[in-house]
Amino acid sequence: MLEQGWVGGRRARFDTAGRVRGLVSHVGDQPVGAAAHVAVHRSTQPHALIGAVHTEDALAMPGVYAVLTGADLYKQFGDRLLTGPAFADQPALAHEKVRYVGEPVAAVLAADLATARAATDAVWVDYDELPPVYDLADALEGSAFVHDELKPSSVFGDLRHLRGVRDTNVNYTYTLRHGDAQAAREAGAHTVTGEFWAPPTHHVPIELPCTIAWVDAGRLEMLTTTQTPSYVRQTIADLLDLPLSRVRVTTRPLGGSFGAKMYDRLEPLAAALAWTTGRKVRLVASREEAFLLTTRHGAAVTSSLTADAEGNLVSSIADVRYDTGAYADVGPRITAKSGMVTPGPYRIDTAHVRSRCVYTNKPSAGPFRGFGVPQVTWSHESLIDELAHRLGEDPYAFRRRHLLREGDEAPMGTRMHSADFVTCLDSVANAIGWFEPLERGSGRIRRGRGVAVGVKAVLTPTIANAVLQFNQDASATLLISTVDMGQGSDTIMAQIAADVLAMNSERIHVVRADTDATPYDTITAGSRSTYHTGNAVRRVAQAMRDKLIALGAQHFEVAEADVELTPEGLRSGERTVPVAELVHGHFGARGATLTAEANFTTSWAPYDKETGRSEKVTEHWFAGAIGVQLTVDTATGRVHLEHLAVAGDVGRAINPALVEQQLTGAAIMGIGHALFDQLVLDQGQLVNGTLLDYQLPSIRDLPDKLTPIVVESPHDDGPFGAKGVGETGILGIAPAIANAVRDAVGVRLTTLPLTPESIVTALENKQEEES
Amino acid sequence: MTVRITLKVNGVDHRVAVEDDTLLLDVLREQVGTTSVREGCGVGACGACTVLSGGSSVSSCLALARRYDGAEITTAEGLDENDAVVSSFVECGAAQCGYCIPGFVLMSTELLTDNPRPTEQEITDHLEGNICRCGTYPEIRRAVATAAQRRSPA
Ligand code: FES
Ligand code: FES
Repeated sequence: MLEQGWVGGRRARFDTAGRVRGLVSHVGDQPVGAAAHVAVHRSTQPHALIGAVHTEDALAMPGVYAVLTGADLYKQFGDRLLTGPAFADQPALAHEKVRYVGEPVAAVLAADLATARAATDAVWVDYDELPPVYDLADALEGSAFVHDELKPSSVFGDLRHLRGVRDTNVNYTYTLRHGDAQAAREAGAHTVTGEFWAPPTHHVPIELPCTIAWVDAGRLEMLTTTQTPSYVRQTIADLLDLPLSRVRVTTRPLGGSFGAKMYDRLEPLAAALAWTTGRKVRLVASREEAFLLTTRHGAAVTSSLTADAEGNLVSSIADVRYDTGAYADVGPRITAKSGMVTPGPYRIDTAHVRSRCVYTNKPSAGPFRGFGVPQVTWSHESLIDELAHRLGEDPYAFRRRHLLREGDEAPMGTRMHSADFVTCLDSVANAIGWFEPLERGSGRIRRGRGVAVGVKAVLTPTIANAVLQFNQDASATLLISTVDMGQGSDTIMAQIAADVLAMNSERIHVVRADTDATPYDTITAGSRSTYHTGNAVRRVAQAMRDKLIALGAQHFEVAEADVELTPEGLRSGERTVPVAELVHGHFGARGATLTAEANFTTSWAPYDKETGRSEKVTEHWFAGAIGVQLTVDTATGRVHLEHLAVAGDVGRAINPALVEQQLTGAAIMGIGHALFDQLVLDQGQLVNGTLLDYQLPSIRDLPDKLTPIVVESPHDDGPFGAKGVGETGILGIAPAIANAVRDAVGVRLTTLPLTPESIVTALENKQEEES
Repeated sequence: MTVRITLKVNGVDHRVAVEDDTLLLDVLREQVGTTSVREGCGVGACGACTVLSGGSSVSSCLALARRYDGAEITTAEGLDENDAVVSSFVECGAAQCGYCIPGFVLMSTELLTDNPRPTEQEITDHLEGNICRCGTYPEIRRAVATAAQRRSPA
C-alpha cells in the first residue's frame, strides 16, 4: 500500500531488516588499511600547569610512529588549536595547563591500537598543581579560575562582549525580567521554595565515538561519528586554515548519540594529527574515554513560586547554575535557552530568572537530549505540584487552570502556537486513571500518582537545505545533511518527499551526510530536523513536482494547470503517462536525472539583554506531559512504576510509529535520570565511568505499562503541520515520578536521582518531624 | 605467542591467527568481518558483543579467542531473514539505531531454544544484561513473545 509510506503512514524504518541482523555498517566498521592508530595520554590532575611532557620512552617502543603534545600542536596551529561552538576555549590536546582529570595531554600514533594504548602509559608529565575548582560552590566563590579569560567563538555574535573578561568562572549569564517578581512574591499569599539538584549524567550511546582522518590531494578528509557534519567541516577548516572546499566530512548512520557526538569531540584532534603527520589516523574512544568526552550539565536551581489569595500565579523566581565543566562547549546556549523556560509553561504575572553557565575542573558538559530543559523542568514541575498541595488543590487541575493556551504570551515574551499543553496533560491524566479512585495501600507498599508538563523551544535560527535527484526510472535520491542516528530521519524525510511526489517512499534513497555532496544543514539536534529539514525536503519535492508537471504539460501539449501528478504517472484528462516514460522521453536516455534544490531558514528576534525577552525567541515550541502511577516500598525506598504515560504535541505525526518510539525511548532514558543514573565525581575524578559502575535502564526498568500518546495540534508552517519529538518525552519524567512519590508517601525530594536510600532517609526525617 | 585456530562462523570455517590475549570480539570484527558483533563497553556489561558459541551466549569482549578453537559461532548475520526471531524483530519494529539489536536477537534465540514459551518475567530475566540506549525494550519484549508464538504455535 503506497500511502503507508506517505505522511501519516506507519511504514517500517529504513532498513529494519539490516539493523536487526547487524548489516548496517557504521564508522568503526570501515576498514582503514595502513593507518596510525591513536591513543591518548590523559591528565591525572584536575587543575595544573603542564611542565615537561616526557615522551621519549613511549617513542622508543616498537610500533610507535610518533607522540605529539599540546605544545607541538600549538606550535603548528597557534590559537586556532582552541575550538568550541560557543567559546573557542578547548584545545585538542591540553596546552600550558590541564583543566580536568582525564584531559588529553599527548597523542600516541602507532601501528595498532594495543601498541598505542600501551605506549600512553609510558608518557609522563611534570605538573605544577593549581587550586582545583571542584564544584559550583568553589567556582562561584571565585578564588581560582579555570580559564584566565573568556574566549567567545565567532559562531554567536551576541557573546562577543564577553571577550577578554577575566577573574570569573561564570562564562555566561542569561537574565529574564518580567515585571517585579520580588515585589509580587512579597505581596503574594502562598509561596513555595526549593533547592533543586540534577546531577551530571552521561548519554552512553552504545556505539563508541570513532573518527578516521586523512589527507588526500591537499584536502583533509574525514569519516566520523557526528551529528553535526556541517559544523565539523567549519571547525576543521578554521583549525587548519583551509577553505571549506578543502575539507570533507562524511558520516555513517550512528549507533545512537543523544547529543554525545556533536560539535568538537574526536574530530579536531584527528584532523590536527592527520594534517601534522601526513598519516591516515584512526581514533576510537573506549567506553571509559567516551565518558570523559562530554556529559550532561549538573544543574542547581534555587527557586520559588507564589500564588495570590485566589490561587493565581503571581511570581516565579529562579537562580539556575549549570556546571559546564572545564570547557564551555554549548553551555552558554543551554543556559539561555533553558533559563527562559525556567518558570514553566504557565500564565504567571511576573518572573525573574538568573541562569549562569559555570566553569569547573570537571569533564566538559554539552548538549544532551533536552538541552538543559529537564534540569529546570525538575524545578518548575516540583514547585507547582507543591503549591497545589499547599493550596489543597488537585495538582492536575491546578496546573491545567494555569497552563498557557494558544496565543498566550509566555513569561519570556513569545506567544504560544501549536503547543497544546492542555491536551497533553488531559491525555496522560486520563491514561493513568487520574480521575478514578486510587487504592493507596496501607502497609509497607504505598501507591501514588503524579503528573508533570514540559516546554522547550526549538533551536532558532537555523538553516536546512535539500537537493533531490529524480531518476529516470521513477526512483529518487535525496541529498540532505541530516544524520540518522536511530531517530528515523532517513525514513520520514523519504515519506515527506514521497507524499508530495505521489510515489513509493521505498524508492527514495537518502544519501548519508557528506559535505562534498550533501548541502549545508545547521545540525541534527534539538529535535529540529522534522520541522526544518522536513520543510526543505517538502519544498524540494514540490519543486520537483513542478518540473514533472511542466514536462507533462509539454508531453500532452496542455497548460500546466491541466496536469496532475498521480501514483500512476502524469495525468491530463483521460490520458496518463508513467513518470519513467515521460522522463525517458524528455532526455532520450535511460538513467538520466532531474535535479531540484530548496532551502528553509528560520529567523528570530534576539532577546533583550536586560530583560531576556523577545517576541520571537523561537520558531516553535515543544509541549509534552507525563503521568505516572507507582508504588513506594517504605521499608526499602524502592520505587516501582506501574503505569507511565507520555504525551507529546508533534503538530502532525509524519510516522506515528516512529513518533511513539521517540516518546517511549525518551521516557525510558528519563526513568534512569529519575531513579539512578548519575556521574559520580570525587575530587574531580570520575569514579563510575565504566558500564560495570554506571547504571542504565534495562528491560527490567520498564514500567508495567508504558503508554505513548501522540497529540497533534498542527503548526501553521510545519511540513504538513509537523514538528519534532526527540526530546519532548524526557522533559517531565523526573518531576512526574517525584510528584507521584510525594503523593504516595508525603515526602518532597529535590535531589536527583531518587535513590532508595534518599527516599528512606526522607521518610525517616518525616517521621522524626512528626513525632 | 601467535597460534592459528579455526572458528566455524555462521557455518563457514575461518583459519585465524591469534595471540594469547586476542579477544574473540576483535577476531570476529577484524579477521572474520562479522561487524554485527560490537563493542559497547568492553567489560561484559552491555551485551552488544554477544555471540552464540555452540548455541550458548558469550560476551565476546571478555572471551579469549584461542579458547574457541573449533567452536561453532553464530552471529546475527548468520540468521536467516525468515528466522522466527529475526522476522519478529523486524515486524515489531524492534530496532531504532539498531546498534544493540544483534545482541538482543542472539540472546532471544538462546532463550527460545532453551525455553520455547517463556513468561514475560523469564524474558526480562534473560535480557536484562543487554542495554538498548534507544529504549526499544517494549518492542523487543513484543518481538520475543511473537517469535515464541511463531516457533511453537500453541
Ligand atoms: S562489549 Fe561486551 S558486553 Fe559490552
Ligand atoms: S536500538 Fe539503539 S541502542 Fe538499541
